[in-house]
Amino acid sequence: MTNNKTYILGERALVIEIAQTTLSQQQQNKLFAMHTWMRQKKVFIDIVPAKTTITGYLMHSQDPDYWLQKMQDAWDNIEPEQYQPRTHKIITQYGGETGPDLVEVANLLELSPSQVIELHSSQAYLVKFLGFLPGFAYLGDLDKQLHLPRLASPRTHVPRGSVAIAQDLTAIYPSESPGGWRLIGQTNMVLFDHHSKTPSIFQPGDIVKFIPSKESIC
Amino acid sequence: MLKTLKGGIQACVQDGGRRGYRHLGVSQAGVLDPLAMNYANALLHNEDDCAVIEITVGLCQFEFKETTNFAITGSDLGAKLNNKQIISGWRYSAAAGDKLTFSSSKDGLRAYLAVQGGFKLNPVLDSNSTDLQAGFGGLTGNSLKDGDVLDYDSKPPLPSIGAALPLYDKKIRVLAGPHSDLISEEQYKQLFEQHWQVLPQSNRMGIRIDSTLDLCHTQSIPSQAVTPGIVQLPPNGKPIILSNDCQTTGGYPIIAHVIEADLRHLSQLASNQYCSFELVTHQDARKALLEQQQHLAQFKIAINNNDKNAI
Repeated sequence: MTNNKTYILGERALVIEIAQTTLSQQQQNKLFAMHTWMRQKKVFIDIVPAKTTITGYLMHSQDPDYWLQKMQDAWDNIEPEQYQPRTHKIITQYGGETGPDLVEVANLLELSPSQVIELHSSQAYLVKFLGFLPGFAYLGDLDKQLHLPRLASPRTHVPRGSVAIAQDLTAIYPSESPGGWRLIGQTNMVLFDHHSKTPSIFQPGDIVKFIPSKESIC
Repeated sequence: MLKTLKGGIQACVQDGGRRGYRHLGVSQAGVLDPLAMNYANALLHNEDDCAVIEITVGLCQFEFKETTNFAITGSDLGAKLNNKQIISGWRYSAAAGDKLTFSSSKDGLRAYLAVQGGFKLNPVLDSNSTDLQAGFGGLTGNSLKDGDVLDYDSKPPLPSIGAALPLYDKKIRVLAGPHSDLISEEQYKQLFEQHWQVLPQSNRMGIRIDSTLDLCHTQSIPSQAVTPGIVQLPPNGKPIILSNDCQTTGGYPIIAHVIEADLRHLSQLASNQYCSFELVTHQDARKALLEQQQHLAQFKIAINNNDKNAI
C-alpha cells in the first residue's frame, strides 16, 4: 500500500499527500483515479492535483471529517486509472531571440545547443499539474542531462509562449509574466483562452511533445 | 452609468471570486472582505455576490450618470457625495451628475461600493472578479482607469438607511498548519505572542509580515494547492499570509491558516500596521462563521421589513 497521509487544511480543504518527492507511474495513475472519484462526488467546488498531493475544496464546510474519512477509504481501495490523455504537439522555435538562455544552458551542461534541443524534443512529457499562472502546466520529467537550477535572479518579463526548463521540469509560459526558469525556445500556440468554456488546452494527465521548427538554431 | 473620473490607487470590480478553475492555475480573485460586499448588496436588495467596486486606499472619484441607490461598506475612506460626508454601512440615493469622492484614511485600507441592481458586466470564467495578475474579468481585466464607465439600470430613489456593521480586528484567528512542526514548539508558541508588522510589499496576492522572531529555515515542500488565508513560511523566516490573488499552488511550508470568518480583517491591514495571531480550534472557526452568517441573515430581515413599502 502507498504510504500517504490525509489532513484538513483550513476549514474546507481536504488533502491526500503521498510521502515521496516524486511519484511512480502507478501512483500518478492512482492520483488521476482519485481525481475522477472526487469529481463524481459533487461535493467539491475545486479539485487541485499538485506534485505529490491532491486537494479538494468542499462546497460547504460542515462535514470535513466525514469526507476526509471517505477520501482515505477511497484511496485505500481505488484502482489506478489509465487516464486517456490527449497528446499536444507544440511547434517550438529553439534558440536565438526566442530562446535567449539556450547557449548558456548548453555551456553549463557541457552539451551543444543542438544536443539540448535534441534531448528536450525527443521525449513526451506528462502534464503533472497546473499552477503559477492560468494554463501554466508543469511538464515532466525532464531528461536528467538537462537538470539545472532556476536563474539566480528571475526575469521581470518572460514573453508569452516561452519554452523553459528548471530542475526536473519543463513548461511553457501561457502569458507574459515574471519568471525564473531558463528560456530555451518559444511557441506561438495559444495555451489559455479565458473566453473559452475550456480555457486551458492542457489538462492534468495530458501528454506534450515539442517539435523543433525549421527556424530553430541548431 | 457610473463614470470613473479618477481611478485613484486601485479600484477594481470584484465579486465572490472565481471557483472551479483552480486546477487550471486560475486564481480565486474576488473581494477581500466578502462580508462587506454582502452587506452592501443587502442594503440594496441585490444578490449576496453581486459585483461591487473594491477601493484600496481611496483617492478616487466617480460620477453617477443616472438616478440610482448605492451603498458603501468597509472602512471609512472619507467618502463624500457632492462634497457632503457620507457614512460607511449606509445606503444613499444619487441623482444624475452627482459626484462620489473618496479621500483616504490612516486607519482603514479598503471600502466597497455597490449600486442597486448591480453593474452590467460580461462574466469571464463564471465570475465578474477582476484577475489583476492574469488581466481578465471585471470591466477590462484591469483596475478602473480615468474615464472607464460601468453600466447600471436607473432606479428611483430610496430613503437612506444604514446599520452598524461587524468591526475589523487586528487580532487574526488561525488554525494550525500542516507543517507547523518545521519550527520548534517554543518558536511556534512565540508566533502568537508577537506583534507582526505588515511589510510594504503586501498586496492582493499576499500580506508579508515581520517581527523580531528568527524563523529562518532551509526547508521546502513539494508544491501543493494553496488558497487565501494560508500562512506560508519562506526560508527568510518572514511569513506571508496568502490573499485572494495568490497563485493556486505553492512550495513554502504552511504554518497556519486564517479562519474563514477572519479573512475579512486582512482587507484592512495596511503596510506598517501591526497584527497578531490567535490559535483556535476547528470548532471555534465553524462557530465564528455561523455567527457571521446569522448576523447577515438577521440584517437582511430587518432591511426587508424596513423597505416593505418602499420597494
